[in-house]
Amino acid sequence: MAGSVVRRSAETRIPSAPNPVALWGLALAGVGAAGVSFALALTNDHVREPGLQATLVVWMTLPYIFGGLIAWWRRPESGFGLLMIAAGFTIFLSSLGWATAAIPHTIGQAFDLLPAALFIHLSIAYPSGRLDRSFERALVVAAYTTAFGLELIGMLLGGFGPDNLLGVADEPGAAEFLLRFQLVALSAFALAAIGILAIRRRAEGRPLRRSRSLLIDSFALGLVMIALLFMTAAFDAGGFETIRRLTFLVLGLAPVAFLSGLLDARLARSSVGELLVKLRADPAPTELRNALARALRDPSLSLAYWLPQFGCYADLDGRPMQLSVQNGKRATTVINREGAQVAALLHDSSLSDEPELLQSVTAVAGIALENGRLHAELRARLDELQGSRVRVIEAEQKERQRLERNLHDGAQQRLIALSLELGVLEERPEADPYVRARLDQARQQIAVSLEELRDVAHGIHPAVVSGHGLAVALEQLTATAAVPVRLTVSLESRLPERLEVAAYYVVSESLANVGKHAQASSASVDVQRANGQVFVEIRDDGVGGADTERGSGLRGLADRIEALGGQLRVWTPLGGGTRVRAEVPCV
Amino acid sequence: MRVAIAEDSVLLREGLARLLGEEGFEVVAQCETGEELLREVRGCRPDVVIVDIRLPPTHNDEGMRAALEIRAHHPSVGVLVLSQYVELGLAMQLLTDSAEGVGYLLKDRISHVKEFAGAVRRVAAGGSALDPIIVSTLLSRRRSDDPLGRLTRREREVLELMAAGSSNQGIADKLVITLRAVEKYVSSIFGKLGLPSSGSESRRVLAVLMFLRS
Repeated sequence: MAGSVVRRSAETRIPSAPNPVALWGLALAGVGAAGVSFALALTNDHVREPGLQATLVVWMTLPYIFGGLIAWWRRPESGFGLLMIAAGFTIFLSSLGWATAAIPHTIGQAFDLLPAALFIHLSIAYPSGRLDRSFERALVVAAYTTAFGLELIGMLLGGFGPDNLLGVADEPGAAEFLLRFQLVALSAFALAAIGILAIRRRAEGRPLRRSRSLLIDSFALGLVMIALLFMTAAFDAGGFETIRRLTFLVLGLAPVAFLSGLLDARLARSSVGELLVKLRADPAPTELRNALARALRDPSLSLAYWLPQFGCYADLDGRPMQLSVQNGKRATTVINREGAQVAALLHDSSLSDEPELLQSVTAVAGIALENGRLHAELRARLDELQGSRVRVIEAEQKERQRLERNLHDGAQQRLIALSLELGVLEERPEADPYVRARLDQARQQIAVSLEELRDVAHGIHPAVVSGHGLAVALEQLTATAAVPVRLTVSLESRLPERLEVAAYYVVSESLANVGKHAQASSASVDVQRANGQVFVEIRDDGVGGADTERGSGLRGLADRIEALGGQLRVWTPLGGGTRVRAEVPCV
Repeated sequence: MRVAIAEDSVLLREGLARLLGEEGFEVVAQCETGEELLREVRGCRPDVVIVDIRLPPTHNDEGMRAALEIRAHHPSVGVLVLSQYVELGLAMQLLTDSAEGVGYLLKDRISHVKEFAGAVRRVAAGGSALDPIIVSTLLSRRRSDDPLGRLTRREREVLELMAAGSSNQGIADKLVITLRAVEKYVSSIFGKLGLPSSGSESRRVLAVLMFLRS
């Protein structure tokens, strides 16, 4: 069972897995950074309850760095992991503000507000790591500028006390004002980010996986806390220290939620075993989608089979399917088997976070998918055959109509005009009896020719059907039948022409059979339309036992009816009369 | 007597016009389409129109539609429909409400100049003219417990002519019998078929047709 998965993504180049040296290096650096932050918090004289503060800073730093490393390792094509790593290190840099030495303190001051901007960036860049909309990009740029650019300006203005090495001017008042502005602006940006998350939730509904929705909820909570914290700081409201600790606690939740999601995905892979058992039982192709949906835990899953002859994807019934473009909510995974496209899964985009699950499920389902593909291909071919059958019948119909028209407008009209001419001559007073007799004879010859021509033309195409409808046409047919016929036509409107013509032939052929073979004393013809179908039924009270294969013309009728997607059935028990029933779909 | 013709074959249209002219009709309009005919009927008020059942543009039911429209909105104008094929269903559509001033003939009939002219006159005067094929279709129709079986051969001949729209005088001329004899046959037929014998000739036609159709 060799299966492979190719993920379709916006980038043409799929980045290879990150270098293990880089991964381990960053992990070590992260541990080191957390250690430094821990020590700084413990040793700083201004920090109240240094133990708690030190623990909180480690709680913030390590989960971001390690969560980011795992995300980067598993999904190198997404920028999200790197962004998390950056957030972790930025928190470390901001903790340098606790240092007593002037240089690290200055660096720490410069990075003081940056973690907030990174958190805003992270929460709206999830899950792809990209910012797809221009206002999202604008928001993030504004947040970075406010958190870092304006912070530097404030430091140049000489704010933040004597340890600030960047102070060139001595405008602590202006710096203070600027800081307030930064805090208020960042609070507003955090609220705007919550707005973006809320709009997405409205548009896309709750995420498929609980862990993903938990992560987004923790982002939202973190943004609320940031806004609250900064507003409290800007307006010197009380309880700042408590709010700050709470904020740190909440911000550390996001990477934990992220890691729990990864664990969840790992657990989900036990469902692959169940799928394997199910597939052993060789389920019907219709069952396959449900089995895959259960294994992938995605009820919205749909399956599209690749039909190489048709150059398109199709559903199990062979109906062409459009693979929707990759968007936020839906994603497509193409499944290859032995180097050839077999099928595609259209699934919730969060499944892309679980490539191993997708890969194992599609590998296990390989043969079943191939079966499904063959099934879909067969259906598509049948549909095509059906289509060409309809086209053949329709072309024949058109041709017959054309021939009848030509006879009607040509030979028949001319003969009538000629006969009229002879009739007029016959009436001339100067015509002698001999001439009159000869003209009359000639006229009768023409009448016979016209009669024959009429029969031929009517046999080619019953013009009355296309001109005036089935109900009108059947009246003559039943009136001239060999036995008394009770005719019931319950149609509220005209039917499509090919259907009317087919129904007409069914009645005409069946009544001819009644006359020839049935030895019936009466018959009935019923035409009705119900539930998207047209029913034509001819019954007689004759001897039954009709030969449905030879000579009765029933085979030709069945072809005609089947080409329209309908069914012709004949019941003809010996001694029990004959019943011919055609059912044709008609919407 | 003023006649309007709607027929898309030029050959036939002009032949018809000439024939009708020679038979003493005044041909007031020659049209190619049903629309044109309806305009002419409103404009020059003919006594009778002769309309081909298949007219442009689609040659499906335009002629029939024009005929039904004239019957509905200009009841004083006689309508004689000509067709290549004769269909019972179409005849029944034309006769839905009454048999007054209506005719439905196979196109071939026009070569029997005198009979055709007679039919046009009858329809113009509010009578009817039905193709013998319609009548024979109805008469040939098998039915259980057939009251037609009780008719004599002569009565059957009279019935056929009556159903086709002939007047008593017309029947008398055709069968070379006296008017009195025709009247006797007619009342005998109505008695045997159980139909009320009162009413005009065209009512009589309708009654007989409806009886035969049922």
